[in-house]
This record gives sequence, structure tokens and C-alpha cells, in this order.
Amino acid sequence: MLANVIRLDLRLRRRSAIGYAAGMALYTFLVVALYPSFKNSTSLNSLSGSTAAALFGVTGKLTSASGWLNGNIYGNFLPLIMLVLTIGYGASALAGQDEDGTLALVATLPVRRRSILFQKAWAMALQALLLAAAVAVCVLIGRGFQLSITPANTITISAALVLMGLDFGLLTMAIGAATGRRGTALGIASGLAAASYLLSSLASTISAVRPGRYLSLFYWSVGDNQMSRGVSAVDFAVLLVVGLAALAAAVFAFRRADLN
Amino acid sequence: MTTAIEIVGLTKRYGSLTAVSDLQLRIQAGQIFGFLGPNGAGKSTTIRMLMALQRPTSGRAALLGLDAQADSVEIHRRIGYLPGDLELFARLTGRQQISWFLRSRGLSDDSQAKQLIDRFQVVVDRPVRELSKGNRQKIGLVLAFMHKPELLVLDEPTSGLDPLMQHEFEDLVRETAAEGRTVFLSSHELDEVQRIADRIAIIKQGKLVAEDTVEGLRRAAPRKMEVTFRHPVDRAELTALPGVTVTHSDGPRLALDVTGEIGPVLNAIAAHDPVDLTSRPADLDELFLEFYRESPEKEVSRAG
Repeated sequence: MLANVIRLDLRLRRRSAIGYAAGMALYTFLVVALYPSFKNSTSLNSLSGSTAAALFGVTGKLTSASGWLNGNIYGNFLPLIMLVLTIGYGASALAGQDEDGTLALVATLPVRRRSILFQKAWAMALQALLLAAAVAVCVLIGRGFQLSITPANTITISAALVLMGLDFGLLTMAIGAATGRRGTALGIASGLAAASYLLSSLASTISAVRPGRYLSLFYWSVGDNQMSRGVSAVDFAVLLVVGLAALAAAVFAFRRADLN
Repeated sequence: MTTAIEIVGLTKRYGSLTAVSDLQLRIQAGQIFGFLGPNGAGKSTTIRMLMALQRPTSGRAALLGLDAQADSVEIHRRIGYLPGDLELFARLTGRQQISWFLRSRGLSDDSQAKQLIDRFQVVVDRPVRELSKGNRQKIGLVLAFMHKPELLVLDEPTSGLDPLMQHEFEDLVRETAAEGRTVFLSSHELDEVQRIADRIAIIKQGKLVAEDTVEGLRRAAPRKMEVTFRHPVDRAELTALPGVTVTHSDGPRLALDVTGEIGPVLNAIAAHDPVDLTSRPADLDELFLEFYRESPEKEVSRAG
């Protein structure tokens, strides 16, 4: 009985989870393999520091190993795909399945609602981990392509990204459970994620935005030079606390939700 | 006899709309109980509250002596549920879903499931999205019955089934009740319910309008009577009798609906030189339609 909901949802999401992971792994491998060709194009570094570059998540020197990975993967594409995955699953896992009418049969099994929700959170975590791990493995392969990046930093920033994905994904679940609408959950969570991204990325060049960066989960995971300096305990703590709060909100909403 | 389901003052409001209003019902164990009503009457909302999918605004329900909300996990272990508008996981095959639900119930014994699959000739090897409505419904029935629950709550169980399978379903329900298990089923069709149900409740606009045995309801149902007199008669005299409605008059021919005792009607008719009289037995359909039609002005105001 235990973990059955995890298995079911992973089975239902199998194709998309593997698709995201394989696609991002391939992309990462290309980025990594191209590094030696760009490593000495110092003209690329003039891109950094502009607001336009910041908008695309480019910070620091693009030709440095961490700048290259941050500007091409960890500062933009990977978080984007991560959020598409977790927010997408978060919206479909409760509200979506309820709208489809399939949640009724699961919710009338001898399993507590809280357990159903925890299992779905696990299913989300496993999908996010698969994506981050696939990318991390390809990045570490990059050490053979002159990318001087420590495994520790790669692993911690991957963990931070997984946590950020879970934060938004669990928040999506909570909104979905509270409203019963997949579209509402998707819309609000995506809006918050976009705002969060902008706050963090523009804070480096627009001083008016700077104070707002603390509100951004991007800032606490990839937006504050974590690629080069590593993820701090404070970063992890913020991401964890937000995640636990979102999980608690989701449990609260789902236990009270009227299902179809 | 023990009580399988007890519903006390159950009410569900969505904003200003009252879907179920102060519902009272008691269903004895071992009974087949038909829960009838037009579409949108509140049947599914009631059932969802029984299944703890929805929380009542007020009132409570007990199933197998346990509180529907607080003890839902224990209840769900002992109950079989078929949702109305059943939706299964479209990409999985019937077999995959059946074995998933067996595992989720912690059951290793799939003999009952296999028996049901054979009995209902369920196609289980294709993804559900490729199956007809009827076949999906049959998978839903397998899921509801496969763990031999002591109580079954079935929302529109025969929807999509062909007549042969409906018949098979009715047999299954009778066998289930004969084993002392309880079946609570909803329907908007009187026909199937009156064939199998021991008792019937009729719900309309969220309110209980009748609850009785099939026989009891039949007794209360109007008899159709057609009388031909030698000469045209004044219908007012008959209409004045209690329980009599003149539904049609055509010169010397009158059509009447009669509920209650027939003596006074026959006396009144006899006084007017009748030449022919036919009387059809009580028709539950008529009664049912009457319940449906009653107070149409309310229907209009609700729709608006």
C-alpha cells in the first residue's frame, strides 16, 4: 500500500519525466562539449554586466567554468525546465486529476489524504531529482572538457535547484488543492516563478530591484553566484523552510478539499 | 437488523446553491437500496459526502456504524465505490489499473477480480482510452466489487452498459444482497431500480420527496382508469372526489388518475350509467414522473 501512489504517478508521468531529463542531459552535454571552443573568446565576457544579459540569467564571466555553466544551464534553462516539470506536475497531481475525475478512485482507497499528498510530493521530488541528476552527470563529464568545476558545487547547486523546484511545485499543489482548478494553480505558480526569476536576475544590474531579491527563490538557489561560491547553509535553510511551509499549506488545503 | 448507512440532516451548500438539503435516510444491512432522482437532484453530491470526498455543510452520515468523515479510511477499506461519470487512467490498461487497486488495498487474492472480468467479459488488455464507455464502466464495477466489500455505493452503475450486461449486473447485485451485503445505488431510471431494489428513496432538488418499499410506492401510485358513459357527464363531480384527477375528457369518455380507495369513485361512476371501464394497475412510472414534474415553478426559478 505504501508508495503505491508514488508508483502510479511516476508511471503516469514516465514519458515526460524521462523526456525532460534526456533532453536536458543532451543539451547539457552540448554546452559542456562546446566549452573548449568558447573558453578563450574573451569578447563573450563583455556580454556580462548588461541588463539584457542579466535578464537571461548571465552573471559573471561567461568564459569561466562557473560563468559558462551558469549562463547556459543553471542560471536559466535548467531552472526553467525544472519549474515546468514541478509546476506542471503540481498542477496535475491534485487539481488536474480531480478535474479529470481520476482522483476520486484514489481518494476513496483506505489511505489518508495526507498520505496521498506526501506520496505525490515524493513523486515530484523523484522527477526533479532525475532531471537534476541527469544534468549533473553531464556537467561532471565536462571535467574532461576543461570545465574546472568541483563535484561538490555541482551537487549542491543541483540540490538547491531541486529544492526550488519543489518549493514552487508544492505551492502549485497547495493552490490546486485549495481551488480545485488546474489552470488557476498553473497560472498563479507560473506567474510567481516568473516574477521570482526577474527579481533575482535584474537585481544584479538594476538597483531599484536589488532589495526585492531576498523575496526570490532564484536568488537563494542560483542567483547569488552559488555556481562559483557554492550553496550556503542559509540558502538551503530558506529553500527548505519555504518548501515545508508549502507542503504544510498543501496538506491543509487537500484535507479540506471537496473532490469530484 | 443492523444499519448499513445512516444519514442525519445531511446538507451541502455551494455558495447560495443548496445541492442537498437536510437529508434523512436509514438503510438496513443486506438491503438493495435505490436512490432515485432526476439529473442534478443531488444524488452524486450525497454519495460524495458518504465517501468523504466532500464535507457536508451540516449534518452527518454513518456507514457501517462509522463516521463518514472521521473514520473514512476504515470505511474505505470495507466499502466498494463506483463513481458517477467514472474516469480511469486513460493511458493504463484495465488490467494495470485493476492490479494497482488490488495492491493499494493490500490484496493478493485476485480470484474475485478474475471472476468478474470473465463474467462481464471485460476487455482488460487495451489502454482505457481505447475502450468504449460500457467497457470502462465494467472495469469500474470490477474495481467496486473485487474485494468483496460489505457495502457497495454505486453511482449510476448501469450507465453505458448494454441490456445484457445490465441484466448481469442486476444478478450480481441480487447475489451480493443474498450474501447479506448491502448495495446502495443511484439512478435516474426507475425501471432498473424497481426491478432490483428493496427500498427506494426519491430525491429532488436536494430534498427527499419519498422513501418506501417498491410495493409501498406502488400502492401510492395513481391507477389509470378510463370510463365510457352512455351520455356526456359533468367531470366536476368526479374531480371533487379525494384522490381523483381527470386527465382527459372527450364527451362521454373520461380518463382518470386515482390514488387511494376506489370505492367512492366506482359509486360516483355507477350513478352515471357507465358502459365500459378499464383500469390499469398502479404505474410507478407515473408516480415517479409526478415527483419529477411537481412544482415546476421552482425548477424555472432555479434555472434562471
